[in-house]
Amino acid sequence: MSSHPSAVVADGLVKRFGDRRVVDGVDLVVPRGAIYGVLGPNGAGKTTTLRMLLGIIEPDEGERILLGARHPRDAGDRVGYLPEERGLYPAMKAREAIAFMGALRGLDWATGRARAAEMLEAAGLGHAVDEKIRKLSKGMAQLVQLLGSVVHRPDLIVLDEPFSGLDPVNQERLEALILAERDRGATILFSTHVMAHAQRLCDRLAVIAGGRRRFEGTVDEARGLLPPQVRYVPHHTDAALADLLPGDATRDGDSWRFQLPAEGIEGLLTRLIAAGYGIAGLAIERPGLHEAFVRIVGEAAAASGPATVTERAA
Amino acid sequence: MTPFRRHLRQTLTIARRDFTATVFTPIFLLFLFAPIIMLSFSLIGGLGAANATRGTAAKQRLVLLLPADDARAVMAADARQRTLPDDDRAPPRLVAHPVTGDTAAQARAMLDGHGAVGGISVAAVLHGALDRPVVSYAAGDRDEARYLAALARDAALVRRAGAPALAEPVLERVATAAPSAGGRDASAFGAVFGIFFLTLFLSGQVVGTMAEERNNKVIEVLAAAVPLESVFLGKLLGMFGVAVLFVAFWGTVVSQAGAFLPGDLGAGLRQLSPAVGAGPFALLFAAYFATAYLLLGSIFLGVGAQASTMREIQMLSLPVTIVQVAMFALASAGASDPDGWLAIGTQLFPLSSPYAMAGRAAALPGLWPHALALLWQLVWVAIFITVGARLFRRGVLQSGSAKPAWRRLFARG
Repeated sequence: MSSHPSAVVADGLVKRFGDRRVVDGVDLVVPRGAIYGVLGPNGAGKTTTLRMLLGIIEPDEGERILLGARHPRDAGDRVGYLPEERGLYPAMKAREAIAFMGALRGLDWATGRARAAEMLEAAGLGHAVDEKIRKLSKGMAQLVQLLGSVVHRPDLIVLDEPFSGLDPVNQERLEALILAERDRGATILFSTHVMAHAQRLCDRLAVIAGGRRRFEGTVDEARGLLPPQVRYVPHHTDAALADLLPGDATRDGDSWRFQLPAEGIEGLLTRLIAAGYGIAGLAIERPGLHEAFVRIVGEAAAASGPATVTERAA
Repeated sequence: MTPFRRHLRQTLTIARRDFTATVFTPIFLLFLFAPIIMLSFSLIGGLGAANATRGTAAKQRLVLLLPADDARAVMAADARQRTLPDDDRAPPRLVAHPVTGDTAAQARAMLDGHGAVGGISVAAVLHGALDRPVVSYAAGDRDEARYLAALARDAALVRRAGAPALAEPVLERVATAAPSAGGRDASAFGAVFGIFFLTLFLSGQVVGTMAEERNNKVIEVLAAAVPLESVFLGKLLGMFGVAVLFVAFWGTVVSQAGAFLPGDLGAGLRQLSPAVGAGPFALLFAAYFATAYLLLGSIFLGVGAQASTMREIQMLSLPVTIVQVAMFALASAGASDPDGWLAIGTQLFPLSSPYAMAGRAAALPGLWPHALALLWQLVWVAIFITVGARLFRRGVLQSGSAKPAWRRLFARG
C-alpha cells in the first residue's frame, strides 16, 4: 500500500453541486517528499479538490489514491490536514487541542500532550501551553491548529490556504515549519492564491481555474510560459519613441516595458541610440510566478467565457 | 490496526472529549442539581395547593337544622365517619344550628350567604328530621351534600338498630409472597414512566452538540480524520456518559433516601416487585434506558446536525418530543396487558420498544424476548446514526451554502 511511488494521485476528479461542475476532471500526481502547490483564483475548486482527496466528500467521478490507499480513510492516521476554515474548541487548552487532534489520528494522549508542549515551545508559544483557545489571538490559534495537524508526524500534510490570516512573522514561521516537515520526509500539499509563498516553497505546482487543471509542472516551467520582459529607461521621451519600440511596449513613469523580442534586443538598442534616446537604464527580467499565474488564469477565463466555472446542462 | 479498532478508538476519542467538555464545567453542577430545584418548586407548589384546599375547607361549614336529638345522632355519626378520609380531603366542620321556623327557608338563607359569619360560608345544610331528611347545598358542593346524606343515613340506621356496641377493628398487615396483579401493573407503568422521564430529561442535551462543531468549524477537522458515523456515535456516547453519571448520582441519593421511608411506604414499594425478578429487572431497566437514550439521542443528533441555529434546533426538536410523548402514551396504555395487540405493537415499533419492553419485564416473566428486543433496538440505533450522518454529509458538508435536506423538501423549484 505505502510502496506507491506517488503520495497523491487524482485521476479525473469531478464534483457537481446541483447543476454546477465545481471540479471538472482534475488530475494530480504529487511525488513523495515534495512540496506541491495547488494554485488558483477564488472559487477555482481548490478546496473541493482537497476535500475529495481527503475523503471528506466523495467525488461524483474519478479516483484518488492517498499514500497508496484507494480510500483516503485507510491512510487517515498518516495524513495531517489544516482546513481553510479554521476550527478549534474555544474552551480547550492549547496543549489539549493539539493532543486531541493527534488522538483523532491515532496518537496516544500522553505522547500528544508531551509533543504539544515541545512544539508550542519551539513555535514561540511556550507561554500558551495551558491557555484556553478563546484567550489566544487568531494567529496564535491558527498556529495551534497547524501544530495539531502535524503532531502525529504524518507522511502527508494537506494545508488549505495555510497563510491566510497570518501576519508576516507567522507566515515566515509557517514557511519554516513546512520546510522542516519536508526535511523530515513528509509530503506537503497546500493550496494558495498568494504566489510569493508558492514561488519560494513549491517543488511542483498545479494551477486550477474554472474547476479544471490548467497547468502542472515546476515553478520554473510555469515562469517559462512567458518570455522575459525588458525594462528600458531612455534619456528623454517623446511621441516618436513609441514608434521605435515593440508594439506591446507600455509606459510606466520614466520607463517602458515590453517582451524581449524573439530576434534579440541588440538591433533595437542600436536604433534607439542612433535616434538619440540613449540608455539611461536597461534590465531584462524573468517573469515571476505571479505573471505566469495571471496569464494561465486569464487564458482559462477567456476559454470558459465570463464565468470562472464550467457550466453544463444537467 | 484493523478498521474496526481504528473507528472504535476514534469514537471513544470524541466521546471522551464531549464527556469532559460537559462534565468539567461549572454549568454541569447546575444541571446535576436541577432536580433539587425542580423538587423545591414542586414542594412549594404542593404546599400552596394543600394550603388552598385546607383554606377552603376551613372557611366552610356543614350545618344541621334538626331537632336536638336528631342533631346529636348526626354529630355522633360525623365523629365516626370523619376518620375515614385523610386530612386533605376531610369535609368542612359540622355545626348544629338552632331551628327558628321553616327550616327549608332557613337553609336557603344560609346557603345564599345570609348565614355566613366572619367570612365562613355554608356548603350544605341538613334539615327536616332524621325520618325525612333533606340536604340543601350550594352549587359546586355536591360532595359535601353527599357526606351529609351519608351521615343522616348512618344516624338513622344506628337509631333503628338500637345503638349496638361498636367493636373497634384491628388492622393487621399480612406479608404476601407473590406480588399482586395490581402491583405488577403499577410496576409496569412505573418502568415505562421512569424510562420516559429519564430520556426526556436527559437526551435533549444531545441535540445541540453538532451545532457546537458547526459553529466552531471543528467539524471539518473531525470529518477529515474520522468517519461521520464515528463522530455521531462518539458524541452520542459522550453525552450518554453524562446521563449515566447523572442517573448514578441520583440513583445513589434516592436509594439511600429509601432507607428513611416509613414502613408502610416501604412495604408498598415492595409490592412493585417485577415479574422477571428484582435483579434481572434492574439490569433490563438499565439496558432499556440505554437503548431509549441512544434511539432518541440519535434522532436528536441527526436533527440537531441539520440545524445551524438554536431557533432551528428548537423548531426541529419539538416534533421529536411530541413523538416521544406519543410513544410513552402508547406504551403506558399497553403496559397493563403486555400480550395485547397494542402492547405487541409498541414493543415492536423501535421508538416505543424500550418503554414497552421495560413494562413487559415488570409484568411478565421470561428473558429471551428482551434479548431480541435489545438487539432490535440497537439495530435501529445504528440505522438512525447512519441516516443522520448521511443527511449531514449530503446536506451540510458537501457545500457550505447547500440547504439541509429538510429545507430542500420545502424549497421552491
